[in-house]
Amino acid sequence: MMEWYDSAFQTLEGALNFATLKNRTIANNIANVDTPDFKAKGVRFKNVLHQTLEAKRTHPRHIEFSSEDPSQKYQTYTKQHTTYNHNGNNVDIDKEMSELAKNQIYYQGLVDRINGKFNNLETVIRGGK
Amino acid sequence: MSVFDAMNTSASGLTAQRLRMDVISSNIANAQTTRANLDENGEFEPYRRKMVTVEPKANDFRSFLHKAAHGKGVRVTQIVEDDEPFKLVYNPNHPDADETGYVQMPNVDPLKEMVDLMSATRSYEANVTTINASKNMLMKALEIGR
Repeated sequence: MMEWYDSAFQTLEGALNFATLKNRTIANNIANVDTPDFKAKGVRFKNVLHQTLEAKRTHPRHIEFSSEDPSQKYQTYTKQHTTYNHNGNNVDIDKEMSELAKNQIYYQGLVDRINGKFNNLETVIRGGK
Repeated sequence: MSVFDAMNTSASGLTAQRLRMDVISSNIANAQTTRANLDENGEFEPYRRKMVTVEPKANDFRSFLHKAAHGKGVRVTQIVEDDEPFKLVYNPNHPDADETGYVQMPNVDPLKEMVDLMSATRSYEANVTTINASKNMLMKALEIGR
């Protein structure tokens, strides 16, 4: 019975982590809006092909191939192939600001959803009183 | 890795943009300064325009190993001087005029400085917006389970 609850919380927690990482990435892009040769970073979900092709370590003390946690379903990447400015920078400030606003609303929605779940649980614990 | 990572990142942006504004202020304030420093012959030299160069923070090998792939903000590398030649203005009554009556004036272009100032101000505002966004998210996170 409780598995349904646990999995819902886990999903929401994963989404919160994703939104937090995205917020950090956007903050870094905006901080570097005037940095020469800086390339903007983004967060995206890993695709199945990427997971299949990822190199395997043969010893636990070897350095990891990817800097991120392999169990994570998303990763940061660098937008290498564009240049929006004469100094080699490719931060699109309008895009970053709208992504920031979007991410903020997404995060607030997630927190509201988590609280909704907790309230449901509370109702059940009180026996609907 | 900390809760305040995003805010620290934006704060580094605020610092860098504010330094840019300070340097631009100095350029504008010294737009007419003919005696900024002494050259190797012991003669006064006009003020040289200064510029700020920035680079991404912690862009080293270790940062890739320590899961900081999202970056840690921006930092100022150095303040460089513009080596554009000084402007020559004919003003024989000026105390710093040479034998031919020309005065070397600073290589500061007020128009350029104003444009740079606008750019720095806008970037500063963008970083303030980011800090507010991060702050709202953290405040919202505190409501979990309330």
